Amino acid sequence: MNGGGAPSGIGGRTPSSSPLAGSGRASGRGQAHSGIGSSVRRPDGPAKVRGEFSYAGDLAAEGMLIGDTLRSPHPHARITRIDLTAARALPGVHAVLTADDVPGDLHVGLTLRDEPVLADRVVRYAGEPVAVVAAVDAATARRALRAIEVDYEPLPALTDPELARDADPVHPDGNVYRHVAYSCGDPDARGVVTVENTYRIGMQDPAFLAPEAGLAWPTPDGGVALDVATQWLHSDQRQIGWATGLPPEKVHLRLAGVGGAFGGREDVTLQVHACLLALATGRPVKVEYTREESFLAHRQRHPGSIWLRHSADADGRIVSVEGRVLLDGGAYASTSPVVITNTVTLLQGPYRVDNGRFEGWSVRTNNPSCGAMRGFGVPQAAFAHEAQLDALASALGLDPVEIRLRNALQRGDVATFGQRFDAPTPVREVIEGVARLPLPEGPARKAPGGVGRSAEGGTVRRGIGYAVSIKNLAFSEGHVDESTAEVSLCDGHATVHTACAEVGQGFVTVAEQVARTVLGASTVEVTQPDTLVASAGSTSASRQTMASGTAVHRACLAVRDRLLGRLARAHGLDAAELTIADGVVCAAGKPLTSVAAAAPGQTFRATEHFQHPDTFPLGSPEARMYVGFGFSAQRAVVDVDVELGLVTVVQIASCQDVGTVVNPTQLLGQIEGGIVQGMGLALMEEVVVIDGRITNPDLQDYLIPTIVDAPEIVSTYVTDPEPGMPHGWKGVGEPPLVTAVPVVAAAVRAATGLPLPAVPIRPEHIALGIGAPPTVTWTTPRPPDPSRPPGVVVDEEPDAALGTMAEEGAPPGP
Amino acid sequence: MTPDEVAFELTVDGVRHEVTARWSESLLTVLRDRLGVRGPKTGCAHGRCGACAVRADLGDGAPHVLCACLVPAATAAGGSVATIASIGGPDGELSDVQEAFLAEGAVQCGICTAGFVTAATELLETNPDPTRTEIEAALYGNLCRCTGYGRIVAAVEAAARTRRQQEAP
Repeated sequence: MNGGGAPSGIGGRTPSSSPLAGSGRASGRGQAHSGIGSSVRRPDGPAKVRGEFSYAGDLAAEGMLIGDTLRSPHPHARITRIDLTAARALPGVHAVLTADDVPGDLHVGLTLRDEPVLADRVVRYAGEPVAVVAAVDAATARRALRAIEVDYEPLPALTDPELARDADPVHPDGNVYRHVAYSCGDPDARGVVTVENTYRIGMQDPAFLAPEAGLAWPTPDGGVALDVATQWLHSDQRQIGWATGLPPEKVHLRLAGVGGAFGGREDVTLQVHACLLALATGRPVKVEYTREESFLAHRQRHPGSIWLRHSADADGRIVSVEGRVLLDGGAYASTSPVVITNTVTLLQGPYRVDNGRFEGWSVRTNNPSCGAMRGFGVPQAAFAHEAQLDALASALGLDPVEIRLRNALQRGDVATFGQRFDAPTPVREVIEGVARLPLPEGPARKAPGGVGRSAEGGTVRRGIGYAVSIKNLAFSEGHVDESTAEVSLCDGHATVHTACAEVGQGFVTVAEQVARTVLGASTVEVTQPDTLVASAGSTSASRQTMASGTAVHRACLAVRDRLLGRLARAHGLDAAELTIADGVVCAAGKPLTSVAAAAPGQTFRATEHFQHPDTFPLGSPEARMYVGFGFSAQRAVVDVDVELGLVTVVQIASCQDVGTVVNPTQLLGQIEGGIVQGMGLALMEEVVVIDGRITNPDLQDYLIPTIVDAPEIVSTYVTDPEPGMPHGWKGVGEPPLVTAVPVVAAAVRAATGLPLPAVPIRPEHIALGIGAPPTVTWTTPRPPDPSRPPGVVVDEEPDAALGTMAEEGAPPGP
Repeated sequence: MTPDEVAFELTVDGVRHEVTARWSESLLTVLRDRLGVRGPKTGCAHGRCGACAVRADLGDGAPHVLCACLVPAATAAGGSVATIASIGGPDGELSDVQEAFLAEGAVQCGICTAGFVTAATELLETNPDPTRTEIEAALYGNLCRCTGYGRIVAAVEAAARTRRQQEAP
């Protein structure tokens, strides 16, 4: 399984095979079985299965108040009057705050800083916070909200993103978050056939199961502390600092237990409000959202439309691609300026494209704000480009696997955006890997449909589809991607301290595995992340094993060298001859002492920083937008009741480029979890926004997959180590979701023969055949014009204000 | 006690409590906010996610797993509730189901875990050899957003297998 420096090979396992259980049990027993490559158990697992793990929602403090939020009922309105008198007069109410009570800068935001902490005379989406209160209990806080009098003068709501560019600005910063346009080669080159269509992607909610919660309290230094479930402590700290006017050193954050994130906790929601209330009241204040508020407050995945035109030669080789993207960013910027480049640049998919023209906009509307969600703009692109590949294959009479193999990117190829794929690019390998996996045997166990409705004897057809994806890993376009780790070792006990947010993905396990492998530690404590150590960046972009894992690895190496140096001096040996394996220090291969007994009572400590090589904006001469890439291929088998439009996903087979397998069980958990989330977007999940209002802000009407919906998943891997990363590891969390969206759609198309150009695919799309097919045009071949300039031509200057993510974090360590 | 409040006895994880709560308060609110029993989690508060699942005897002598967020606490007056804290040994030993959840990787963020372990434990008490379909039928009231359910099914199957092997003569 573990690549361990071996060249590209395929390791694999089906979910039901036995090594999983066996390797899991080895955790914590012998060190040989607790390092990189083994299924070490989560260190936080025992507390979680006992129900004793403390989540943000479990926080409590002596004398705490409860905070609550008054939200706009209108998607766009002017606030003509706010009267707080009655609310403030209620017994038990300690604070009622509006924009006028914000002591610092009113505006926050991950990139453009365009969002008021509390509405500033205008509300721009339904659910925008207008006022916050702190009261002795939740019921009193609720009464206080009802006692706040607000007069709104409704304004026309801009809810159609197609109209945003030409509409009156709904914000002083205008209605376009970012426009990107570039071309490469000769976009007008043609093969024998072109296919084009417009694809639509619905708004997906991260729907992490623990709603937002946090507890803030004033600190003796005049500052404020906040325990909160977040993905990015230092980003929260910075934005709290802006709004409170406090310097960062007086804003103290710690990570509370996080119940899932998936991108939805990257922006601030209640963080600033809780701190403002704590400072205003001098008391601890807890804020915990309801499920409905959670839907209203956090960022969703961008809905969008994508037009694509592919031209190919008779062999199915792509000659040119043209694409245009419109993403609805909603009322405030969040990460919309960054997401749009992901979507636009990765429209080419994991295929070689020499000639292309690409353009995209992320725009402002009065719809809910969209931002990060697992995949970050790429599931949208993948849904569209994979539908196009199937349309090309169909037009040319080619097998869907064959057309993908013929176009597969290879190492050394150059992307449409100019970057050379200079690391392993195993596209062919993941396609071949997934095509080799056995198809499910026998009839399906259950009829199409889910918990709500199942098919009853109608016409059921089986379909098989394939999809392949490319996902950029880590931050991009100059946004600094870094982390810092502080590691200490004493008597064989290691302590690892970072600001990396554990949100469920299992970084705590990886950190422990690294400390055991490098230091030979017998016990490892991964301490609570906080802002006492430098930023780890966000737990997003599949990046924390690469960034924080590598920082931990470096710090462990430094600690090991300090320990071995001390031992070498004590024993008159050459430190270069000393090694650590399985918790034992060896001199020239012979056991010298155990790590635990090597230096009794002495502590060795190191703090190390890691930063990926720089990246640059689209169109920069360095031609390096992205840190790296991950590739994934999947095959879906579905059964469809074609009359009722009900679908069951019978099996999804996956082959993913993972660098190396750090922890087989956790890796499988990322694959399976990502696939089922992607399947949710493909078949059932959509935040339904009508006239700017979310109509299904609950888990009754917003459907996420249940255990009944989940398919059998067969997972294999290509392990080709990523250069520059310890053990060759790379990010794995997003690709499974990215590929699952198009693969499920492809299989349903195969079963029904319908074009299905929109996700989620709803029963009525199938039953009524809704959705236009691609336009297929037979063309006279036209080779690329050799006089066209080589490389990427950006049609407009890249936006100079890429935003503040680039400034985030501490300067590189010593 | 205000007019909208009611006082009653409730046994939680073997401990008898005198509870004063409003009529409208859910069992989940009473457990978490009045009694400080934080094992059951608040995921949706409308009976859809199962994070608050507990095994309760509402006084009819037939304990079963239910969503604590949907039950007015007063309807459990005189009854007993077993939360996740009642599963596992007295000294923190894990039950076979809890052990299997760890071994199989069925836990990621963990906010759903107490509910799943509670429901899976009841399943195996009544059905020691469940089919995949029976596992789904027992657990479809519990949502998990992290795992995709594959490891959860594997954990229940592993726990059932272990239990059958141990009970075999």
